[in-house]
Amino acid sequence: MGNCLKGSSADDISLLRGSESTADSSSSDQLGPPPPYRVESLPVYYPSPNISRPVTQLTEEEQVKIAKRLGLIQHLPTGIYDGCKKNRECVICMVEFQMEDCVRYLPCMHTYHVKCIDDWLMRSFTCPSCMEPVDAALLTSYETN
Amino acid sequence: MAALPRRIIKETQRLLQEPVPGISAVPDDANARYFHVIVTGPEDSPFEGGLFKLELFLPEDYPMSAPKVRFITKIYHPNIDRLGRICLDILKDKWSPALQIRTVLLSIQALLSAPNPDDPLANDVAELWKVNEVEAIRNAKEWTRRYAMDN
Repeated sequence: MGNCLKGSSADDISLLRGSESTADSSSSDQLGPPPPYRVESLPVYYPSPNISRPVTQLTEEEQVKIAKRLGLIQHLPTGIYDGCKKNRECVICMVEFQMEDCVRYLPCMHTYHVKCIDDWLMRSFTCPSCMEPVDAALLTSYETN
Repeated sequence: MAALPRRIIKETQRLLQEPVPGISAVPDDANARYFHVIVTGPEDSPFEGGLFKLELFLPEDYPMSAPKVRFITKIYHPNIDRLGRICLDILKDKWSPALQIRTVLLSIQALLSAPNPDDPLANDVAELWKVNEVEAIRNAKEWTRRYAMDN
């Protein structure tokens, strides 16, 4: 066992060293500068409503914040619009809900297209209509359940 | 240029069909995201009788981010600076995609009725507004006459 550990750790170091030196030369020699469309396709995140950053330039704190937010959004219920809700228009895109549209319900009971509200929640974790903080409402609903 | 989102088309149609009293917003012929705005000075404010020109631009990611709005007509107001930039929370951190061009312009009109010298953008104006409100209001009226009434 002891031998195994020793052996593997030595291998790891050599691998790391090797990959470091090759990574530098290969990325610049073989690939060259990335074509412009690749730069555009990098996802952009909004750690705060007025701050936008490409995924590669997020601080560690911002990455944690965004990861938490992604997790929380997944806990918000979704459904298929069935035509019986009172508000017929998604206030974000201003397009009327159609039968079979994917909608997301916030804890304050406001409803939006999944695509529309998720885009907003990644910037600000509040309901656009009532400005209720979504995570606070989520936490209280956890506590009461 | 990318196609105009449905929401912008809808908002523009509604603005033209059901205009807000005291506010006109007309899209530019060459750029549908740029609006020529005129706000009338509210009654019982030092800006009464004035017609204030503004420009409003809807950024690429509107309505996820707020419209950019600026006064073109010079105005003596503690929350509007010499460049016409406006200090208003809904244009910054309190923006929500449920707000619209209409509600933004109504808020700006309300800001003219209720200047807030405790959250200043034009510091000299705010200072005078706090220490000598009578003189500040006199200045605001004078600027309205001089810059917002000539045509």
